[in-house]
Amino acid sequence: MKVTIYIPAALREFTNGRSEVSVEPSGATVGEALSALWNAYPGVRDRVLNEQDQVRQHINIFVGNENIRYTGGLTTRLPKNSQISIVPAVSGGQ
Amino acid sequence: MIGEVLGHCRVVAKIGEGGMGVVYRAYDEVLHRDVAVKVVKKDAKLDSSGRQNLLQEARASSSLAHPNICTIYDVGEIDGDLYIVMELVEGKSLHGLAGEMGLAPETVLRYGVQIASALARAHDRGIVHRDLKTANIVVTPEGLVKVLDFGLAKRVGGGILEAPTLSFSTVQGASSVSGTLPYMAPEVLRGDAADARSDLWALGVVLYEAASGRLPFGGRTGFEISAAIMREIPNPLGPPVPPGLWAIIQRCVAKEPMQRYQRATEVQAALEAVQSGAIALPEAAEDRTAGPPRTTTMHSIRHVRIKKKDFVVLVGTNKGAFILRSNAQRRRWDVGGPYFHGHSVYAMAYDGRGDQRRIWASTSSFWGTLLRSSDDFGKSWTNPQQAPVRFPADTGTSLKNIWQITLGPAEEPDRLYCGVEPAALFETRDAGQNWSLMRGLFDHPHRPRWMPGNGGLALHTIVLDPSNQQRMYVGISSGGVYRTEDGGQSWTAQNRGIRALFMPEKYPEFGQCVHKIALHPARPERLFLQNHWGLYRSDDCGEHWTDIANGVPSDFGFPVVIHPRDPDCVYAVPVESEEFRCVCDGRLRVYRTRNAGASWEPLMRGLPQKQAYETVLRDAMTTDSLDPVGIYFGTRSGQLFGSSDEGKNWNRILGGLPSILCVRCAVVEDEGLGNVFPVRPKATKQVPGKSNASHHSTRRKNKKR
Repeated sequence: MKVTIYIPAALREFTNGRSEVSVEPSGATVGEALSALWNAYPGVRDRVLNEQDQVRQHINIFVGNENIRYTGGLTTRLPKNSQISIVPAVSGGQ
Repeated sequence: MIGEVLGHCRVVAKIGEGGMGVVYRAYDEVLHRDVAVKVVKKDAKLDSSGRQNLLQEARASSSLAHPNICTIYDVGEIDGDLYIVMELVEGKSLHGLAGEMGLAPETVLRYGVQIASALARAHDRGIVHRDLKTANIVVTPEGLVKVLDFGLAKRVGGGILEAPTLSFSTVQGASSVSGTLPYMAPEVLRGDAADARSDLWALGVVLYEAASGRLPFGGRTGFEISAAIMREIPNPLGPPVPPGLWAIIQRCVAKEPMQRYQRATEVQAALEAVQSGAIALPEAAEDRTAGPPRTTTMHSIRHVRIKKKDFVVLVGTNKGAFILRSNAQRRRWDVGGPYFHGHSVYAMAYDGRGDQRRIWASTSSFWGTLLRSSDDFGKSWTNPQQAPVRFPADTGTSLKNIWQITLGPAEEPDRLYCGVEPAALFETRDAGQNWSLMRGLFDHPHRPRWMPGNGGLALHTIVLDPSNQQRMYVGISSGGVYRTEDGGQSWTAQNRGIRALFMPEKYPEFGQCVHKIALHPARPERLFLQNHWGLYRSDDCGEHWTDIANGVPSDFGFPVVIHPRDPDCVYAVPVESEEFRCVCDGRLRVYRTRNAGASWEPLMRGLPQKQAYETVLRDAMTTDSLDPVGIYFGTRSGQLFGSSDEGKNWNRILGGLPSILCVRCAVVEDEGLGNVFPVRPKATKQVPGKSNASHHSTRRKNKKR
């Protein structure tokens, strides 16, 4: 299964400038698709996950238009031809 | 129009057409040569002044004799039609040649040199192109580049006079400015006048497009394109684009004109330099496919140039870091930065131990917290793929912030410490390659009962005893002062005599909210402490603390720093109260004691004394080691103040920075500054009940690493 992952501008220095990366994960979850991304571009991992393998507080991951926070986190299953987006949260006050 | 005669040119055929003009092939019947004639459409909104401008520009441009500039032969009017007779250039536009894949880097360099050369000639004559783009650069079959339409894109009556090639769409609705949106410089979008540097921006866009087939600042709408131009950094160009070419493009598209090349000849020279390298050594380009970069080079940022014996001040703010340079006089300052746009920089350090000249910085953003270093005063920084400071998996804890970077003993230039949030201490013994959690403190039985303060549960202060490598102190909010006597394996709370007004028990064993600890290497048994409430001194390595808030307007504050040569002289900046954490009465005053806290005096000459509701955070104050001693502090409102006479007189060095979180300073190549003062410690007092294991000098002669 092929999964397209959209890379935000801030992380493209770790993907050789690519704004989207296609991966073929070993399984059918968001976590497995992202693992395939880390394998190809290791620098992205620590920007998205903390050292306890949790998605960073102000980073959102979408499958299509759904935020995985509400669909099972990294265990969210991927439909065919999925598109994953990594998006920093909108926040303010600082 | 076909068959008509304009001046002495007979129109032969139509070549192209766009919003403002039509271009024809014509034959000059006097000089017997083929020419191109551009006729401005009748409906173009040209008022009389616009017409005059256009004629003037065209006449000026006609003086540009250069092999890479399409020559203008004549301008005129016939029956109210304005026309321009120019050299007929037969070839393909660079836009068409770049296609979707871009050209080979050697070709881009070859064309780039010619375009830069054309711009240099025009700029020398005071002519700015204003609408340089791949669509109006034509390459002849012989590989000769011709830049079209010099000086013709001047705004005319609210419309845009397009280039004759017209092969790339001019974004509609951009009528208040001249040029083509994806190539427009930020200052032109803001409505400022275009100058030569705006052309250099466009040249950067042209080079990027030629090398990649993509525009650096894209978008589906004019708004998106404008937003990208104003704010975004283009996607990096990796192989086969050589790093040198990418560096040139980045400098051309620096947002601020001052940060770009200032002259086209500079770009030309830079392209030629890469060209010579690229042709001689095609494999020499860095192979970025081997792995993402470990270093980020800061091209579009202003850097300071550091010379031996220069004096540097490092300023971390909540939106990036700055590096200031001066000499021993400390009167004039150059400012480099901002580094790490938008990231909070809570901790910085300068490491001059051994042969190092390294700046450390912690950066924190949505993307996590990283420890980074620069060996070239900010021109490039490490950007590690994996966060170097990280909690082991079994702790179930994740790093939130790095609050403190402290150099290890002078004898061990590869050893450093980091104090982090949530409260923990990390150590490296290989100059930052590997960091390990100091378990002795992390596993302390008190840790579950430490309470986060307003700024989180942070270990923000690390103090080494230069006379005893096994002894070290840390400050934790809210946990209190802890000391180790065995190099970090075991720790004891050292808070006897320190009040904790927010606790039911006013003098608990631990739980105090310590803000900063200072130690003097000449008297390492003595410590000064600024607490959440309370100013204290200990003369016995933290065993007992005495209240020394004698004559300060408030004993609440954050920083406390010590004079490098006088262990009785200490500086603090009291704030009004816990609720109102601003200096008392809106008067910015530093307080100094010269008798170890028996009395304090305000220092205010040169500091604002009216409506200055400032706060100086715990790491935003520091002293240097020069004579007389300099003292520096930054405020939450982004002002940096300094005194080069021990606090007698103050100057505002910089204003308008983001909130200042930390300030550090050092003399370059004055070995071993930072946390280690260049003073040989005297014999130390023994801690009650402890053996005093070792005595070491804090100084070390340039040991090679």
